[in-house]
Amino acid sequence: MTESPDTLPSLRGRSLAGHMDVVAQLAELLGPDRVRAHPLDLLIYAKDSGVSSGEAAVVALPESTGEVAEVMRIAAAAGMPMVARGAGTGLAGGAIGVPGSVLIVLTRMNEIFEIDEVGATAWVGPGVINLELSNVLENRGLHFAPDPASQQSATVGGNVGTNAGGPHCLAEGSTIAHVLGMEVVTADGEVVTLGGAAPDPPGYDLRGLVVGSEGTLAIATRILVRLTRNPPDTVTMLIAFTGITDATRTVSEIISSGLVPAALEMLDGPMIEAVENFVHAGLPVEAGAVLLAEVVGHPDCTAAEASLIREISARNDATEIRTASNEAERVLLWKGRKAAFGAIAQSAPDYYLNDTVVPRTRFVDVVDETYAIADRYGLRLLNIFHAGDGNFHPLVSYDASEPGMTEKVIEASHEMAQAAIAAGGTLSGEHGIGVEKRDLMSQVFSPDDLDAQARIREAFDPLGLLNPGKVLPEGSRRFDRPTT
Amino acid sequence: MTTLRSVTRQLFERLRDETADVDADFVVAPTSLDETAAVLAAAAEVEIPTTFLGGGTHVGYGNAVAADLVVTSAGLNRIIDWRPDDLTVIVQAGVPIDTLEAEIASRNQTAVFPEIASGATVGGVVAAGLSGFRRLRYGPIRDRILQVRIATGYGKVITGGSPVVKSSTGYGVPRLATGSFGTLGMIGEVMLKLWSRPMATATGEVSNASEAYAETYRPLAALETSEGSFLYLGGPDTQITSQARAVGAEPEPGLAWPEPVNAAIRLEFRVPARFIRPAIDRAKRLGATRWIAEHGVGRVDAGVGAIDPKSFAAARAWAESTGGALVVVATGDAGVDPWGTPPVSIEIQRRIKSAFDPSGICNPGIMPGGV
Repeated sequence: MTESPDTLPSLRGRSLAGHMDVVAQLAELLGPDRVRAHPLDLLIYAKDSGVSSGEAAVVALPESTGEVAEVMRIAAAAGMPMVARGAGTGLAGGAIGVPGSVLIVLTRMNEIFEIDEVGATAWVGPGVINLELSNVLENRGLHFAPDPASQQSATVGGNVGTNAGGPHCLAEGSTIAHVLGMEVVTADGEVVTLGGAAPDPPGYDLRGLVVGSEGTLAIATRILVRLTRNPPDTVTMLIAFTGITDATRTVSEIISSGLVPAALEMLDGPMIEAVENFVHAGLPVEAGAVLLAEVVGHPDCTAAEASLIREISARNDATEIRTASNEAERVLLWKGRKAAFGAIAQSAPDYYLNDTVVPRTRFVDVVDETYAIADRYGLRLLNIFHAGDGNFHPLVSYDASEPGMTEKVIEASHEMAQAAIAAGGTLSGEHGIGVEKRDLMSQVFSPDDLDAQARIREAFDPLGLLNPGKVLPEGSRRFDRPTT
Repeated sequence: MTTLRSVTRQLFERLRDETADVDADFVVAPTSLDETAAVLAAAAEVEIPTTFLGGGTHVGYGNAVAADLVVTSAGLNRIIDWRPDDLTVIVQAGVPIDTLEAEIASRNQTAVFPEIASGATVGGVVAAGLSGFRRLRYGPIRDRILQVRIATGYGKVITGGSPVVKSSTGYGVPRLATGSFGTLGMIGEVMLKLWSRPMATATGEVSNASEAYAETYRPLAALETSEGSFLYLGGPDTQITSQARAVGAEPEPGLAWPEPVNAAIRLEFRVPARFIRPAIDRAKRLGATRWIAEHGVGRVDAGVGAIDPKSFAAARAWAESTGGALVVVATGDAGVDPWGTPPVSIEIQRRIKSAFDPSGICNPGIMPGGV
């Protein structure tokens, strides 16, 4: 998809000279090395990890809150839109430039400022890489719970932007449950702290609004994350089934039993094959589906929970149940899951990754329907699921150089999203809306609902300079719009 | 609905004209979100300050509100859709939390509502952002509100959030609504994420709640109270027993929560968890007779007979210096600002308020900074 996001009409055709003036001001502020305006440089930042691409007028690489605020004041004074960006691992086009924008890349703000082991919190820069944070914490018996598949390169700031998830947010919750406070810069360059380490800060929970807002409300420059204690015991199991139906039924039964495992992931047959060819993790390639189930906690508790999962799996005709007996085996079981997207990249030139969520009780039906849609379009579908929370990633692998193929894939993907919505689900579980799903928002929200969200956006950013054209479809703001 | 709206407006006009000098409340009990929105639209048109009432258990929380219209949630009293196999429930605001908990307990589930807030309603608890003691294990209430339906101050019914347990679809409207004290409109319906109750539970008295918490993996709660310190555990029997004994406690089956701090003036220290001990000391020095402190959370709920402005100001300054707050919940006028220094984001807070309540009729001024 080459669609570029809508932009503010007033910015169209803005003169290059105007931008050059801003580039000069930014270069004076940050030095020429940290301001990029050459077309080749801009190209590097044109895409995220999804299929959309965008364009910015200039890229700025600030290293402190003060610099971010100053960059934003310069941009605001010039009426230029601002787009925050981390490592660019997003999949929905949330962090790609919009025409005439200043792309604010926060990867250099990667300092871990303060770790409070007693309170289990840490202040970190938005550019800190997700996995590096957990690595730093390892010998303190703590970790940062959100673990998106991109965690080796994704930044905490990006996780905040999309309210990122990952396998272990089934029991622990998405990023929003792990951000207690943040320092943000608002559209006019003001630095404001939201929330904090104390419980229930008086006033509206603005922190809860900014997380998941994809850079449309404010830009986070320091993040107070909640850390999670490492569990005393972990049991990881790989459970194979002949077909997807047995596996999905097992998931439903586990959840309805009341057990919330730490993770409950599923790969379908085509995905197992692709992954195994890539990582050689010893996955059962003959299986039609595998579940990766993990329970954590006190050893007595994990033993009881693991045995319940085995029992339910056996009842649903599991063909094999493997339990990791040590950390190396556990890592190997996870390796297959975490390498999935790399595996796909090897097996087909292009892929389109969906991110819908359905009520867990409707999981079986919607998965069936998703396969039927792929069949109807004659597309190759591989599936990887955060099965426990009903979040699934039907992945269409294709060759974009085939004429009309991309359009066909997107059409089929939209049908898959509609199937999820019709079953009471929603558009995105963890990737966000960006530009990719923006125009589908009216399928899950009424005009009044979208208007309410647009009001929130206006309250934060009255001039509409932060990541315009993302998340909310054009015309979302409907009622009593101020005439000024 | 247009008829309802115009009739309501006529009534409100009379109310405004005839009771200008009288301290009279006009109470309405809408039976749907649409009715609630119609009532608020009419109230907004004639600018009648409005407040909302659930179980009435937390009246007096926040700045005093002078309202002429009371919208109660008594007519919004249905559990709409409990999906036990999905661990979610959609429930209207007026349902008492005890009623909901009793209903879902039949499948051994819990909404993790406050354990000792008998009489409170779902809408009230969400609007006040009240979390129970088990937040230590399951997180605060805002982590469990998946979707909200609000009748806004501009008279529309809006839905925010998504009807699933995980979502990155649009803004976190449920989080904005949680703890918004009816300033954006009336929360009429919420969808909650539920948890299964643990296989077994136990309460054990400990000598040091802080150590007991640190040495136990994810207890349900670790409370230090004026009556003693207690560790609350959940899980298989064998785990409970071994965990309790490890911290020197003799576990009694079940969860024996402390009695609520029923005082005319309650002080709530909210500080980073590592400051819980000094917060307890401060509460005692302010004359607290009964108190409950949540280790690992950083909240101390303390009852006092009266407030000495000078020592109170010092305690509040200390709480705020930790990055926290000292909040006062009083049934009458306690003589101090209940919230303390407004948050630095006050300007954005004001704009959010006026975006949802442009006429400023919904619980005007109840929030910090008079929002």
